[in-house]
Amino acid sequence: MKYIKRLIIGSSILGIIGAGVGCNTDELKGLNVDPQALDNVDPNFLFTSVELGTASGGTAGDNRYIDWRTNINFAAYAIQQLASTGGELGSRYVESGSTFESSNAPFEFIYGDQLKNISVIFKLTGPGGAYEGQFNNMVQASRILRVFLYHRLTDYYGNIPYFEAMQADSGVYFPHYDSQELIYQDLLNELDEATAAITDPTDALGEVELTAMSRADIIFNGDLDKWRRWGYSLMLRLGMRVADVKPDWANTYVAKAVAGGVMESNDDNVFIPTAEAPSLWTNQNGISRAFIPGDGGQSSLVSETLVNVLKGPNAASTADDDPRIMVLLGGIGAWTPDGFDPIAGGTDPLNQKGMPVGKTQNDLDAIEGHVVDQNLTYSRINPKLLDRAEPYMLMNYGEVELYLAEAAKRGIGGVDPGSAATHYNAGVKASMQMYTPYDASLTVSDQAVADYLAMFPYNDATALEQIGLQMWLNHYLNWWEAWSEWRRTGFPVLTPVNFPGNSTGGTIPVRLKYPGAEVGGNPNFAEGASPNDYTTRVWWDVD
Amino acid sequence: MKKLNVVLVLVLLMVAGIPAAFAQSRTVSGKITDASGAPIQGANILVKGTNVGTTTNADGEYTINVPASGNTLVVSYVGHATQELPISGRNNISVALIEDTGELERVVVTALGIQKTQKALGFSQTTVGGENFTQAREISTANALAGRVAGVNVTKIASGPAGSSRVVIRGAKTLGSTLNQPLYVVDGVPIDNSNFGQAGVWGGADQGDGMSSINPDDIESMTVLKGAGAAALYGSRAANGVILITTKKGSGRKGIGVEVNSNYVFEKVNNLTDFQTEFGSGGLVNPTGTSGLSTQVPKFAESIEEHWNNWWGLSAWGPRLGTGQVVQFDGVTRPYTYKGDNWDRFYETGNTFTNTVALTGGTPEQNFRFSASSLQNEAVVPNSGFDRINLSLSANAKFAKRFSLNTKVLYSNEKAKNRPNLSDSPGNGILTLYYLPGDVDVRDLLGDPKKPGAVPSGEQQAAQGLTIFDGKPPGEEFQINYNLWTQNPYWAAYQQINTDTRDRVIATGEVRYDFTDFLYLSGQAGMDWYTLRSTRLTPQGTGHNRGGQMSELENRTREINLQYMLGFNKTFSKIGVNAFIGGNRMRRQSENMSLDGTNFNLAQFPAITNANLKSYGYGFGKNGINSLFGSVELNYNEYLFLTGTARKDWFSVLNPDDNSILYPSVNASFVFTDAFDGLPSWLSYGKLRTSWAQVGNASSVSPYSTKLTYAASLTHLGLPLAGNTSGTNLPNFFLKPFTSTETEFGIDLRFFQNRLGLDFTYYSQKTTDDILNAAISRASGYTSHSVNLGEITNKGIEFLLTGTPIKSEIQWDISLNFAKNNSNVVSLIEGQKSLSGEEPRTRTVLISHIVGYPYGMITGISQLKDPATGLLVYDADGAPVTDNSYQILGNGVPDFTGGLNNSFTWKNLNLTFLIDFKSGGDIYSGTNVRMTQDGFTKQTLKGREGEEPLTVTGVTDDGAGGYKPFSKTLTPGEAANYWGKLGDRASENFVYDASFIKLRQVTLGYQIPKKILSKTPVQGLMVSFVARNLAILKKNTPNIDPESSYTSSNSQGLDYFGFPATRTYGFNLRATF
Repeated sequence: MKYIKRLIIGSSILGIIGAGVGCNTDELKGLNVDPQALDNVDPNFLFTSVELGTASGGTAGDNRYIDWRTNINFAAYAIQQLASTGGELGSRYVESGSTFESSNAPFEFIYGDQLKNISVIFKLTGPGGAYEGQFNNMVQASRILRVFLYHRLTDYYGNIPYFEAMQADSGVYFPHYDSQELIYQDLLNELDEATAAITDPTDALGEVELTAMSRADIIFNGDLDKWRRWGYSLMLRLGMRVADVKPDWANTYVAKAVAGGVMESNDDNVFIPTAEAPSLWTNQNGISRAFIPGDGGQSSLVSETLVNVLKGPNAASTADDDPRIMVLLGGIGAWTPDGFDPIAGGTDPLNQKGMPVGKTQNDLDAIEGHVVDQNLTYSRINPKLLDRAEPYMLMNYGEVELYLAEAAKRGIGGVDPGSAATHYNAGVKASMQMYTPYDASLTVSDQAVADYLAMFPYNDATALEQIGLQMWLNHYLNWWEAWSEWRRTGFPVLTPVNFPGNSTGGTIPVRLKYPGAEVGGNPNFAEGASPNDYTTRVWWDVD
Repeated sequence: MKKLNVVLVLVLLMVAGIPAAFAQSRTVSGKITDASGAPIQGANILVKGTNVGTTTNADGEYTINVPASGNTLVVSYVGHATQELPISGRNNISVALIEDTGELERVVVTALGIQKTQKALGFSQTTVGGENFTQAREISTANALAGRVAGVNVTKIASGPAGSSRVVIRGAKTLGSTLNQPLYVVDGVPIDNSNFGQAGVWGGADQGDGMSSINPDDIESMTVLKGAGAAALYGSRAANGVILITTKKGSGRKGIGVEVNSNYVFEKVNNLTDFQTEFGSGGLVNPTGTSGLSTQVPKFAESIEEHWNNWWGLSAWGPRLGTGQVVQFDGVTRPYTYKGDNWDRFYETGNTFTNTVALTGGTPEQNFRFSASSLQNEAVVPNSGFDRINLSLSANAKFAKRFSLNTKVLYSNEKAKNRPNLSDSPGNGILTLYYLPGDVDVRDLLGDPKKPGAVPSGEQQAAQGLTIFDGKPPGEEFQINYNLWTQNPYWAAYQQINTDTRDRVIATGEVRYDFTDFLYLSGQAGMDWYTLRSTRLTPQGTGHNRGGQMSELENRTREINLQYMLGFNKTFSKIGVNAFIGGNRMRRQSENMSLDGTNFNLAQFPAITNANLKSYGYGFGKNGINSLFGSVELNYNEYLFLTGTARKDWFSVLNPDDNSILYPSVNASFVFTDAFDGLPSWLSYGKLRTSWAQVGNASSVSPYSTKLTYAASLTHLGLPLAGNTSGTNLPNFFLKPFTSTETEFGIDLRFFQNRLGLDFTYYSQKTTDDILNAAISRASGYTSHSVNLGEITNKGIEFLLTGTPIKSEIQWDISLNFAKNNSNVVSLIEGQKSLSGEEPRTRTVLISHIVGYPYGMITGISQLKDPATGLLVYDADGAPVTDNSYQILGNGVPDFTGGLNNSFTWKNLNLTFLIDFKSGGDIYSGTNVRMTQDGFTKQTLKGREGEEPLTVTGVTDDGAGGYKPFSKTLTPGEAANYWGKLGDRASENFVYDASFIKLRQVTLGYQIPKKILSKTPVQGLMVSFVARNLAILKKNTPNIDPESSYTSSNSQGLDYFGFPATRTYGFNLRATF
């Protein structure tokens, strides 16, 4: 009996404990709330992330990667503004392990960071979202940024996932590939709609929303006119890009862009401000970091091609030099973490010397007749353009005027054929004078511009080549865009390198390869992707 | 409050029971000896049907208070047949135990610490005695399990002494992010075995795991619960198997027992490289006026400019060594000759010195064991090592016969000094050492002797005629190349810091009250709590990070388990019942904080406050599991056993509407030799067993991971930068732990009076609802999505053969275990054929889990083949053309593993050796790729001047969309081009069979005869020669150890400049007083 009694006592006590220890799950449910995260976030904060990310993939936490791998190590060499005895894919068209990274980086960073954050903005402000119907202007600005990002992506790879992209949270894990043609059609339409939908505030709520946007908008501080002008300028760029394959689209959208109002001065330039702190991986300029000695430390030596252009036809005279020569070039000398140390006469324009492209050290030694110390032999990028907190340029007014010059010359979009020279001159001037935000000392005077244009005036017979060369110069530091323009126009005419063992048959690569993970991992890859090589031209790239 | 309640109630219960229990009991004492009459220390004495027990002291003596109901003593000891002795009114009971190699009757610890006899088990589990870990040692005891247990695949990572280990039991169960590692339970307390970081594609260091805290001297035994059947009562934590560690405890004895163990071993690098030493630094160049590969000739640097600008410092494509003067990285002209073995110059002789003192004492009722241990290790990489201090206290008490209290506290302090960087180069000095051409002497890289690896002072530069080509000031890294990522090995070793300290307490208290001899109630509280404090420094002046970078990190993790159990154990006539029910409450919290700084303000002053840019990081996670469980074992006549168990777990991390999972199991065992008469006499014992069980893995769903949430942890220009918190992974609200279902059959046979034994197991396991962080297209916005969609199976067999071929003056015991596991990836996300894991820095290879193939395939881009003829395609220069798609090249996980243990005993001498083996796995050697690319491997001799010619034969592009036959004997330039591209374009050439046979362990011990010691206080003294990893008896991997994986992650089979193989040997001395 005594056992039974104890058993009863023991069991009932156990029952009580059991209720507390075993299956009481209310407390458990309360445990699963992350004290460091929110279910919804103010979409303006995401907007800032998108803007910063559009420069160098910033918020992904490795801002120098994409510029280093693709903009510099591939595009700057391929387009022959920089030169190196390394840099396999860009300078020699040789594929190797690290060249995959050059190819992968834009796909990985642009989809994985900026486009994702834009899709969250759309979700939060879209139907059923926590901020449904709010922040219209910020949403339209996000659409413009989205177009900018997608056009870059498709320009690099050709066909890419577009219509089904960015929908993982709706269950689309393996989006189909869309043709570049359809993508461009939609991008142009998006620009049309977004620019039109930007609305000046008409009520107090609109003012509040615009105030929030102007705080978050690190590009234009909520200046809606500037957003409209960028939207139409982008429309101009995209319209011109398809001019050889879709003349009717080009006509329509170039005309629309001009009517809507494109950029009007260098004040409209799209700069993303960067900062030294708090984190070098997030806040600094990725191009600068890739070059800065002791950080990325990539060679910043420029090419013979570029220096020869800047020095003009008479290398022995400074009179015919491009006024940008000592803006773009810092001179000859060692650049160490302690600073730039020019050799004697290293900053004299007459002494500037670029490295021949696609050479090995041995080749250079043979050319010079002695063993070459590259750092003390060739000119380099002006370190004043490469501070850690340098503004990061996405698009500029000079480029817009050059497009208009080409449209005028080719009679696209109703741009007055007689205005080609005016647009050309304005484009050259703006291009020359856009470096002041990098460093006040990099200002080119109106007189210098005028002298240059007087010496090398617009010539209708060679206009396209002239425009192409100026576009090429305009895209200094923005080498991937220079590469795209070169693919479209063929100007400037570049002599390819034919290096032993190259992967392109001795031609400059005209597209990037898709990442291996996409090739092997996306079951829809085979269906619509472009041929995965370096030599198949993208849709708009025709002779 | 709830915790307190549990304890209070238990105490009350016990107090209530005291008076009744105090009444009629008796004291029994005696002596337990072996067959030769020698006393046995540590034999277990248990009053049958109760939890009342004790152990014998060093003289084999015991005293026990037998409760009134007790009438039989059960005496057991490892390796001996258990005996049941009726008390029959006696006060003195002594017995000699007979050795029993079968250990059939042995009482074993099963899940949740429940003791059962071996014959009652319907599943396979294996216990390894602590003595196997204490002579020839591993710093992390998990590594010492290699080759010991059939079906347990132990991989020591190529990451140095403080690195982590990978223990996989019966094959990997998940393709997900959890590491397929078993649950470790120390004295009933589940301990944290988190991995703190691994080297990956971009390099990094192995930051170690949880198992390095345990002192082998404290281990009484390790029991491996291999399958779901054995581990079923751990429910959601059991999917990868469970390893129970039972630590030593005290026993009643006269006076204080003292045991001292000292172990000193040396460690030497086992240099497995066999590189060419004929050709030195330099490269292939075209003589003036020529171009193209065919005219290239080898050349070495004749000026410092030529050396630096050609990046020739780490390339062995120069001319034949022997004549001429080469200008090296520091501007010094040296003879262009082979300078000898740099590994020998750089690596040091490591050593590990371990000392442990253990004290035991007390009465049979109240006793303790205390031990203190110190381990000091210096690794073969200079300026690195691992130190550990362990303190342990075990105190056991019985009050009033029915109430027992067992407490254990283990404290450890671990200090890992400078964990080496592996894989990709940042900070990886080991890599640089591989890359030094034959004409370079690594000592020339030392630089400033007061600051190894740094640019020397101006005076020293002048005295030695050095030129610092990159203009670095004294005190900054002494670079050998324009490649900023190539770390000076001395700088890596002496100037970089990756040091951490962990303080850890594992504590448990268990109270148990026996209401009667068949009914008990127990409660246990257990805690594992540690603080891990790390400092990592890339000093100012480092090539790839001149500004410098520093992190100060702290991780605090605590897991508390409260558990209670009500048990019943009684035999009714021929039917025995052993049952219990109970519950558990688990709460785990982990918090980490980091301070990061970059760019030091004052040069060469590494302090976090001196950093110019400072940022901090913070992480927090908390989760809990509530559980109820129960088990019923029925036996018929002690030869037929049937057990059923169930555990239900409620999870905090799951969707609150559906947050529980039930884990059931059943198993049966049938000892047919006891059931039937008239079996042949040579068959000593026979048992059939079977089990079926379902278990899971809770850690596969981490806190807060089921929801898409946002935060703004970064800022720009003072503005918040928002983003989703799961990074590139898309969360899944409906995620749940994966389930592992396993069926197991086994037979256990003993022949010829147990001289020969065979234990065979077949199992078939299936993982369903596996959590796949499924790789999804980048274009979807995320790179992965967590889904319960995977299915994977593991089917296999395990053999254990034990025998005593010689049993006379010399005794020879042999035990052979082996296991074969066939895994199969059954399904992934619909429409997906393969799931990608990690890739090595060559980025041409991926570990992939492919539907229809075993777990962990190695895939890589291969040389293109002409589809018509199957012949290899070459370009015009004779270099391979790649197919650019990933082909299956091998499997990174072995499917056949095992070990052969031998023990010879002659008088006082004992020799043991362990040979272990694995086969069926492959390894991709990024090291060999790079060493071939840059002209170091011996195969690159082919095609060089004066060497065997290199001819490639296959097909080449015919310019018309097809292929034409092609054969070419390559010039030196073309050959170098061929070797340079081989790895990038045809990775199949660098996947090797990773099978091996290793002489893993040897011990030779001598027990000093008692006669010699009789005049001294020393009671026993044993000296041993001990060695680990003495020799690789068979391997197929040139230049590397087949066990060269640089990561303990699920992506096995990748080698890329990991820690070099080492061997250790030395002495162990054990004395008892």
